Amino acid sequence: MAIFPVVNTEKYESLSDQQLLDKFYADHDNTWLGIILQRYTLLLLGVCMKYLKNEEEAKDSVQQIFLKVIQELHKYKVEYFKSWLYMVAKNHCLMKLRSGHGKISAELHNEMIAAPEEEDKAEIALTEKTLDLMKASLEELNNEQRQCVTLFYLDKKSYQHISEETGFSMMQVKSYIQNGKRNLKILIEKKLKQGSSK
Amino acid sequence: MDNLKNILSGLSTDVDQETLLQYLQGKLTDEQRQAVEEKLMDNSFEEDAMEGLQEFKDKQQISYVVEALNRDLKRKVEKKKKRRDKMKLKVQSTLYIVILIFILLIVFSYWIIHKMLQP
Repeated sequence: MAIFPVVNTEKYESLSDQQLLDKFYADHDNTWLGIILQRYTLLLLGVCMKYLKNEEEAKDSVQQIFLKVIQELHKYKVEYFKSWLYMVAKNHCLMKLRSGHGKISAELHNEMIAAPEEEDKAEIALTEKTLDLMKASLEELNNEQRQCVTLFYLDKKSYQHISEETGFSMMQVKSYIQNGKRNLKILIEKKLKQGSSK
Repeated sequence: MDNLKNILSGLSTDVDQETLLQYLQGKLTDEQRQAVEEKLMDNSFEEDAMEGLQEFKDKQQISYVVEALNRDLKRKVEKKKKRRDKMKLKVQSTLYIVILIFILLIVFSYWIIHKMLQP
């Protein structure tokens, strides 16, 4: 799971974050944290870079986040490590930006038990009827959204490929797919509601 | 029909770091790129990270940066562990000394009482 692991993790690869976290809470041995954290080094680096827009500051921030997690995690019971770590990373960067890249004083107490994000995760039962509704709803999307959603989900084309084919920028392609997907869900839910009220 | 299901499924699986790195370095086929992009669509953490990683000037350097960060992480973890072990050892030695003093006191008291009771 980790790339270029420095802590030897091979024998622990089959263990989930939760299992490793349980081991850490049982004996408070930081080696467990080292194994979990290096699964996320690349992601942390990316998130810090996204917010701070500076390679050196992003690297420093990842080191500071590691330290913060090692120092703080034994104080709280964290249920969803990945979501919690993502929140810690975002808070760290935002605090750094707010304090003009100065010394940070982020408090980690809030929302310690961050649940995985629920946004857009409400499941719609995938029945034959829903799929028929989806086909109909796809036609109701605007041209750009319909074109991008079809090329991405049905024809399995990458952003780059769609961008070349349609002439939209990569950012536009991504945005049309995201908005198209959201609108499609809304349309289907509306149709399902109408169907059940009849 | 199966592809249609993917739009609504919302079931995201994690993308491993090695694949993300290959994606960034342009080492994946168009089909593999699409599969990664589809998974990222439902993972905010990975999606944010990918946006940031794409801003690195030299994508080939990212691996070295990650390696250096992991090395630093190892140092941090070991330092803490050493300090904890040291503390544990300190507490243990204090405990042994207290037990030894206590045993010596009992032996000494027994010896005094024994001497006093002798005619």
